[in-house]
Amino acid sequence: MNEIELTGLAAMRDCWITGGTAFDLAPAAWKAIAANANPDERERRLLAIAAQALDIALRPAGPKALKRRPPLPELAMPMLPERQRPLLRAALKHAADARFKTRVATLVASRGFVLHPMDWMPAASYQEIPDVYAPWVDWQAGVDGEKQSRREQLTVETWDDFYPAARRTALADMRRTAPALARQLIEAKGSSEPAEIRSALIELMGVGLSADDAPFLKSLFADRSGRVRELAGRLLARLGEHGNPGDGGTEDPTAELAAFFAEGKSGFLRRRTTYTPIRLKSPAQEARRGDLFATCYLRDLAAHFGKTESDFLGAWQFGVDDNADLFLIRMVSVSGGEAAVAHLADTLVAEGGKPALLVLHLMARLDSGRKRALIRQILKDTYDLHALNQVEGVEAGWLEWDDLTNGQTLPALHSAIAGNDEPLKRSADQILETLGFLATAATAEKLIGDVVAAGMAPAAPSLGLLRLNASLAGPGIDT
Amino acid sequence: MEFDLKTIEALAPDQASLSAASKLTKQSNWPRLEKNQQLALIWGECQGSGSNPYRVVFDTGDHGYKCTCPSRKFPCKHTLALMWIAATAPASFAAAGSTPEWVNDWLGRRKKAASPPVATTPGAGGKSIGEAAHDDERADIEDAAAVERREAAQRKRAEDTRSSVSAGLDELDQWIADQLRLGLAGFVDNSSDRCRRIAARLVDMKATALAGRIDEIPSRLMALRSEERPDAAIRELGKLVLLAKAWRSAPDDPELRRLVSTSESREQVLASPDATQVESAWEVLGEKIESRRDGLVSHSTWLLDLNSATSQFALLLDFFPASAGRRSNAFTSGDRFEARLVFYPARHPLRALVADRKGDIASGDWPDFSFSISDPLADHGARQDTAPWIADSPVMLPPGAILLDDRGAAWWQAAGDPHGIALPIAGTINPTLLGLNLAATAALWNGGRLDLLAAQSGFGRLDLS
Repeated sequence: MNEIELTGLAAMRDCWITGGTAFDLAPAAWKAIAANANPDERERRLLAIAAQALDIALRPAGPKALKRRPPLPELAMPMLPERQRPLLRAALKHAADARFKTRVATLVASRGFVLHPMDWMPAASYQEIPDVYAPWVDWQAGVDGEKQSRREQLTVETWDDFYPAARRTALADMRRTAPALARQLIEAKGSSEPAEIRSALIELMGVGLSADDAPFLKSLFADRSGRVRELAGRLLARLGEHGNPGDGGTEDPTAELAAFFAEGKSGFLRRRTTYTPIRLKSPAQEARRGDLFATCYLRDLAAHFGKTESDFLGAWQFGVDDNADLFLIRMVSVSGGEAAVAHLADTLVAEGGKPALLVLHLMARLDSGRKRALIRQILKDTYDLHALNQVEGVEAGWLEWDDLTNGQTLPALHSAIAGNDEPLKRSADQILETLGFLATAATAEKLIGDVVAAGMAPAAPSLGLLRLNASLAGPGIDT
Repeated sequence: MEFDLKTIEALAPDQASLSAASKLTKQSNWPRLEKNQQLALIWGECQGSGSNPYRVVFDTGDHGYKCTCPSRKFPCKHTLALMWIAATAPASFAAAGSTPEWVNDWLGRRKKAASPPVATTPGAGGKSIGEAAHDDERADIEDAAAVERREAAQRKRAEDTRSSVSAGLDELDQWIADQLRLGLAGFVDNSSDRCRRIAARLVDMKATALAGRIDEIPSRLMALRSEERPDAAIRELGKLVLLAKAWRSAPDDPELRRLVSTSESREQVLASPDATQVESAWEVLGEKIESRRDGLVSHSTWLLDLNSATSQFALLLDFFPASAGRRSNAFTSGDRFEARLVFYPARHPLRALVADRKGDIASGDWPDFSFSISDPLADHGARQDTAPWIADSPVMLPPGAILLDDRGAAWWQAAGDPHGIALPIAGTINPTLLGLNLAATAALWNGGRLDLLAAQSGFGRLDLS
């Protein structure tokens, strides 16, 4: 289209927008086509020409500045095979929220595959995702520039070449294999990071924590962030060090907390010390006790009674005051030493039933073996199978068929499936989804057959994760 | 899995359903018939009157069933025919180890009946399989005089329709001139009412297809930014002028008749000597399901010819009443199959019917198409040269990427040409797309926006519809 036609088209367009006859404004060549007709027909002919000119001769004017995102990085694992994607999408569709969807990704990663980015992308804020997705988390975070998610060693020199998520993953790995090196890096580079990132880095010190870390943690009491100081204090307390340097006050919060417990004796032959929460008289007292539990450290509380952490926990009377039990467990989780955590978890799991469920609050501190032991106990007790959904940070794909047949789990599922109680059926659906994450491929396949035989529809959405699991049957999977 | 014809009689809603089902029991109507003994399921795909085959599944254990057809009879004739074949020719069903996804989908949603199926129902009386089988024979006997009368009546109806449509187009012409005189700014603001009124008149004048198109103009305008709407209104109304003129010059042209009044039946298309037939491998690019103002739902399935050196598309188009509820999709995006397609006669054949569907084929990359790098809309332009009334065109875009403008709207732009042509994308996109290099992108261009269907990328095939 030439300049004259463009100008003419613009004038006709303006005329038609407000209303009127555009014939006189049309380019001469167009007028010639439209002439020899009545006025209405002339306008229609010009309209037809203008429509084609707009459609063919003109192209949408793109903005001058279009923003391009960096290419999505490829991940270190192969993509899930195409034929498994329908199963995956079904499992993702059934997963209720981001946490459950992340579990699907974790299960698939445990079998050596990553998901297609159009099926699932981790949000930039996700923490509990398989490490292999760190480059995508960084991509989602939208960090500009030419940085790559490096697979090279993280050092002081390469620190700025790593995106935050990739750095976090590298540091966590390093804390497991070379904790001193990781600490030196955090010490050297952490202070220049904002408080939010600094506290995330300090949190990583919890991985492979040892007495060697104490001097650095003590140095953090001078940090300008209260969150960092609090984290450092808890980590020191876990090491058996005095975490709190004191705020200059004259009152002793540990003594105030200790006053909420009664020291007693039990047993006829071997008199044993016991600590029992006293009955509280008001909600205000309850709230104060909760605050004190949150700010005091286990080691200080045990020391107040002249006991070690493990001895104090051994003397605690569980079951007298559920709230006090819960606060104590949380206290152990954030400030208890490794030995105290392990001792308490083993004791409660061995006890089974309701006390075993308290161990759920220690999840962040438990090693893989203890997490598995807890899950096995929950399945064996069948006291509250729903508690399975609260188990966090546990590995995928290890639960064997024997673990399911060891207790009343299968009969409970059968009864829920065969019955007409809708809430019970929904509950069974959730448990099956969790088992879909925990089970080995062989267990998953067996479980599908078992529940289908009990009356569940073979294609029930709640079996989605189990079906995906069963289809990812180890190294023989066809890629 | 065994059940007898009495069961079918008992389940049939009426004698007419049985008669209709008997006509569908020929093997040629069923490109796919499969069973799974373990799950007590039989299923199949029946080529009905629509472009897409109907998918039918039947539980031989509890007599539950599902068909994707819009019939309001339960069970429909397709379900009855499937049962009929199972009862009389069980060997027609191939044993399948696993169930297709659409069967799984149905199994997942249905609630199993608590009690076993009843042997007979009170409504079974008065229906007879034997009588249904003889209906066909009776229908074949029609005397020559009756045929002559019927054909004469058809000719008369066609002539009446032509006169009526012609009068309707005269009204449309006047209406368009009125819009220009009153101003397109006002037309854009009141397009809903104004289009509804002229569309209703056109329905009365038997220009039903054109009425449906005009009814959709307001929603097409509203999908654009306000500053783009006047140009879009010029495009839409100008194309109506062109279509009306073309129809007047050739009212019997099948393409123009289809766009203005009514479409041919499936049988007419299959019998038409002008209908192009293409036997090839096809990939389902995607589906578009849109509720229209006239109460119909249009269901478009876009296919790509995998054996063609240039990008060739086919459109399977069905309409059904919105009141019939949501229908299951006949295809899944990414499905690949061998089939013979018959295209509705047109200057650029696009709408098609699946005449003969063969087996599924494995997924893979698209062929290397020859792209027009300088003008990604060159194919659209070529179609407009011979059929300027076409509103939407499928296009295959060369390597490119999706970018965002300052307002956060998405644009497609060719790779390696940051100052080259950019095409705006309809609706919102999955943000992940912004990080993917697209080797080829299939989309629909409507003159103002790209509606993405599918793409090939370093991460494989992307379903974008």
